[in-house]
Amino acid sequence: MSVMLSFQEVTKIYPGAEHFKAVDSLTFDLNEGEICTLVGPSGCGKTTAMKMINRLISMTSGKILVDGQNADRMDTIELRRSIGYVIQNIGLFPNMTIAENIAIVPRLKGWDAGKISEKVESLLEMVNLPAEEFMNRYPKELSGGQQQRIGVARGMAADPPIMLMDEPFGAIDPINREHLQNEFLRIQEKVRKTIVFVTHDIDEAIKMGDKICLLRNGKLVQFDNPEKLLTEPANDFVRDFVGGDRTLKRLNLLKVKNAMQTDPPLIRALESLQTAKGKLSELKTDHLIVVDENGRLLGTVDPAALGKTGDKVAEVVQATQAHIQASASLKDGLSEIFSHDLGFVIAVDDAQKVVGTLTEKDIKALLRK
Amino acid sequence: MPTTIISSLLKRFLPLAITVAVVVWLYHHYGALTYTIENTKEFMRFVAEHIFLVVVSLAASVIVGVSLGTIMTRKGFEKTGPAIMALVNIWQSVPSLGVIALAYGFLPLLGLSGIGVLPALIALFFHAVAPIVRNTYAGIEAVSADVIESATGMGMTERQILMRIELPNALPVIMGGVRTSSAIIVGTAPLAFLIGGGGLGFLIFTGIALMDMGILISGAVPVALIAMIFDNLFGKLEKIVVSKGIQAEEYQTA
Ligand SMILES: Nc1ncnc2c1ncn2[C@@H]1O[C@H](COP(=O)(O)OP(=O)(O)O)[C@@H](O)[C@H]1O
Ligand SMILES: [Mg+2]
Repeated sequence: MSVMLSFQEVTKIYPGAEHFKAVDSLTFDLNEGEICTLVGPSGCGKTTAMKMINRLISMTSGKILVDGQNADRMDTIELRRSIGYVIQNIGLFPNMTIAENIAIVPRLKGWDAGKISEKVESLLEMVNLPAEEFMNRYPKELSGGQQQRIGVARGMAADPPIMLMDEPFGAIDPINREHLQNEFLRIQEKVRKTIVFVTHDIDEAIKMGDKICLLRNGKLVQFDNPEKLLTEPANDFVRDFVGGDRTLKRLNLLKVKNAMQTDPPLIRALESLQTAKGKLSELKTDHLIVVDENGRLLGTVDPAALGKTGDKVAEVVQATQAHIQASASLKDGLSEIFSHDLGFVIAVDDAQKVVGTLTEKDIKALLRK
Repeated sequence: MPTTIISSLLKRFLPLAITVAVVVWLYHHYGALTYTIENTKEFMRFVAEHIFLVVVSLAASVIVGVSLGTIMTRKGFEKTGPAIMALVNIWQSVPSLGVIALAYGFLPLLGLSGIGVLPALIALFFHAVAPIVRNTYAGIEAVSADVIESATGMGMTERQILMRIELPNALPVIMGGVRTSSAIIVGTAPLAFLIGGGGLGFLIFTGIALMDMGILISGAVPVALIAMIFDNLFGKLEKIVVSKGIQAEEYQTA
């Protein structure tokens, strides 16, 4: 993976406030295609650090490399046009339609009209706002959540490799925020931009970041991936900032597939009851998971069910709700475990194929690692 | 609903009908019609002079006012801007007749004539420029900082931000200033006659001097009509040039 953005000893001292460094010798590298969340208490220098990248704020000393080039030596206007910019208060242009807002940077870059309108339509589709309905509306006719979707689409319009986002979902109500976060992560799966994402909310930082850059008084306290930040906080400040529920946060972050056993006790529905009984005692387990010819989940059988009269497993199978996607969070997995008597949940993939089982013990084992 | 149609027709045409009725009555009652018909050629010349005074001084006010108001919002003018604004506000409080008198008395000191069309134009211009300066300044200052920040961050040049963001978004406020200026100019233009600027003021002041209501009305009524027409035109212009995204609701549904 190549480094897309590099901070090297970057320091900012505001004129008129010489006694303190708003950003103090900040150094870190960000790989291409990763989201880095800049997080920390209010006033710790997040916005200042971010705005030095597109030179809305000039640095006092140090160097920022954008794709290997010194940002300070690049033409300011060109630099900014190659970096998407999304702010908390959105700042859509009220005099322009939604389509015109999104088209701003492509137009500045001189794209031809056909390419621009194609791009506008695909972006609107990407942020789940039907083009025919929204293209010709004005910002004031949209809700806050819709406006920020447009803000994000506008930031991506000219396909910038880098995006800067300053608390983009900070002014949105919690339910819509969660929605926008998920939507954005889904988009990022596809577009793989290098993103600097400012937030003061540690939960958002953990959720959105491939890397977390935790700042305090302008200084870097810890730069790590979310799992590392939660398991190995660099000091008491990080521990406090992350919160006492670190373990629960990890449950949010980790996936069922990280903790599950990948050798589930399977039995095909067409096998005989005799075979099933044999397998049950051989594996020393209480349940077998019944699957069809393609490995898809049908249900479970236990010794009581196998005691019934019948020929094939299919005749005695008991349907079950105790299953979950392997890509779901461990938190959801744990919740499923607690809501069924089985003592475990069955992990399935997108096609409902059984890929593993998850017990409380598995989760504990992973968390203890 | 037929009743709403009728009421909207009434709303639209009643003022017009009343205006027409009053004008007709004035013309008929004071014999202004006879005077106007008998002196058509002269009358038309006064109208032309009057409109010339209004249009030229208003155009100058718009050009200078918008430029000055804009410059005051630029970097490096953070301190001078408000100072100029204060000056402009004081200047605007000088009464119309005072401005005309000042032009008459002051221009000769600069080696210019105090009598004629030019001094009249200068006086009208100075009298009317303030609202445009003030509204342009206020309109641009009122454009949200977030809008400017995102425009800058996306790589628009200062000039692009001014032309595509600041001025278009300030336009409703600027247009308000232009309408005020136009009203001031139209109302003050008759005084131009006092310093030899011509226009419909001739008929009004002659009418007063001769105590002839016919002559007076044949000047005063067209002055009032010109004022109404100008205001109406600017109202229409505003709807055309101001983006729908920032027009007040009432304009959209009208
Ligand atoms: N224009 C400025 N002039 C002086 N000090 C500033 C300016 N902007 C920000 N600061 C100070 O710099 C520090 C960092 O600010 P900022 O980067 O906005 O923090 P954050 O985004 O993390 O809340 C704060 O102490 C703030 O008061
Ligand atoms: Mg901030």
